[in-house]
Amino acid sequence: MKRPVAVLLLAVLLLAAMVGCSMMGVVRFTWQEMWHSPIFWQLRMPRIVLSVMVGATLSVCGAAYQSVFRNPLTDPYVLGISSGASLGAAIAIIAGLQAYLWGIGSCALLTALLTVLFIYRIASIGNRMHTTTLLLTGVCLTFLITAVISFLMVLHHDKMESIIFWTMGSFASSSWFDVALVAPVTLAGVFMVLYHSKDLNLLLAGSETAQGLGVEVEKVKRRLLFFTTLMVAFAVSSCGVIGFVGLVVPHCVRLVTGPDNRRVVPYSIFVGGLFMLMCDTLARTVLQPSELPVGSLTALVGAPLFIYLLYKNKKRI
Amino acid sequence: MITLSHLSCCFGEKQILHDINFHVGEGDFYAILGANGCGKTTLLRCIAGLLTPNSGEVNISPSGGEATERPIASFSARELAQRIAFVRQHAQTDFEFSGFETVLMGRNPYQRRLQNESQADWDIVEQCMRHTNTWHLRFSRPHEMSGGELQRVMIARALAQSTPIILLDEPTSNLDIAHQFDIMELLCDINAREHKTILLVVHDLNLALQYCPQALLLHDKGILAHGATSEVLAPDNIRTAFGVEAEPQQGHLSLRPMTKQL
Repeated sequence: MKRPVAVLLLAVLLLAAMVGCSMMGVVRFTWQEMWHSPIFWQLRMPRIVLSVMVGATLSVCGAAYQSVFRNPLTDPYVLGISSGASLGAAIAIIAGLQAYLWGIGSCALLTALLTVLFIYRIASIGNRMHTTTLLLTGVCLTFLITAVISFLMVLHHDKMESIIFWTMGSFASSSWFDVALVAPVTLAGVFMVLYHSKDLNLLLAGSETAQGLGVEVEKVKRRLLFFTTLMVAFAVSSCGVIGFVGLVVPHCVRLVTGPDNRRVVPYSIFVGGLFMLMCDTLARTVLQPSELPVGSLTALVGAPLFIYLLYKNKKRI
Repeated sequence: MITLSHLSCCFGEKQILHDINFHVGEGDFYAILGANGCGKTTLLRCIAGLLTPNSGEVNISPSGGEATERPIASFSARELAQRIAFVRQHAQTDFEFSGFETVLMGRNPYQRRLQNESQADWDIVEQCMRHTNTWHLRFSRPHEMSGGELQRVMIARALAQSTPIILLDEPTSNLDIAHQFDIMELLCDINAREHKTILLVVHDLNLALQYCPQALLLHDKGILAHGATSEVLAPDNIRTAFGVEAEPQQGHLSLRPMTKQL
């Protein structure tokens, strides 16, 4: 199938799913009621839009990281963004900042960015970025921060539940404000990654090979890491840590399209958005009226699906 | 075509190359020879612009011919990739691009971002793959190819870059003797037919003698000898560079270890 046709089909499918999912929930309404319902406009729509954006962000960044680091096991959180954000959120919850608009979000964003900045500082030698050091520092710092968070939780028993719930990720409190904050970063970042998708292919062949084939490797790498970091930091700050999506969606897409990032990246946008939308819809409808944490659902639904795909495509791995 | 002037290169404290001055003309086919760790690969990487020398510079002609040379530092990665193709020692196999896609990457320096390949690119790729006898591998994944096949695909990609200069780092190591001849014949053919300048790091002295008209012998951070391969590979030079006794026999070198003086 030609690429534009397939992308168009996926986009239509995603839009249809967004409308369909907005009809589901505790409160049901007809088409007429929908247009006038504040539940539809103020609760469900921002939530659906945000979940699609976050799904797309995580998948696209996962695809980019897997190529930049040439490692199939990397996900968007590998540089410690998630743990950094969790630390900020924990501090905000303990300090009682939930009451303010984006009180937790802004703290999480700040600590997430500081964490990654710290890691980049350590891993840059001159003007080059050493990717293995980058990965190792990220993993190590994640452990350190997780330990600090556990320590904070022990000291503040009463806040433990809300901290844990935040780290499992949820779109329950999404508002148009979140959408407005996340949307510009997501749009700019997705465009940046799309724009560099050919370079990602060459990076996958090794950075010296890429350099030899005309890619300004360090420049491209730095630019991509800058934008993906911002995207993921905003996404995590708005909804907490939702794992698995960024790791697995790009792989699922790759099983169908092959390794060419000029297909993997655009398809990941829609497949990631669609997958997150489905998971979030399940999270809020399965146990109505209570909610499941979407972060656990993504793995619960995604892992068997991925293992099935791996099994079916045995020959290609 | 390529001029090295006062080129010096160190890794940390360790000096690898010291004050190298050398000129390669258009259409030359050089074997770069020397013992392990004498800086052959370093030299090649400096010429390819992958390594910045500590002092001195590498100059190449912006367009074919001997016209005004410019230091490679003044070229962008893209411009350099239109002039120099580099075939690495270990062809990497941990990605799943098909043979055709791999060779097509060689066209990257001529494409804009977000732009698809043109018919011209496809034609060039097909031509290069047919020339290197890899057209039947166009749908194969790297892990389905043998070492020799993969190496030929990498050479096809270098050809697809349409550069006046091709650098190769030990393209024949890890290959059996038949495939070594195969690769060398192919390179001779490319050199003769397309008049490309080729610099090749190679360990097998006889292979160099047989196929490369010129050679550059590195020893002790500098150039020990350069010129016609048969003269560079004089027994004295081989003894100095490798500590090996050599005896020329009808265009062939018979090599044996140096007898230890007790």
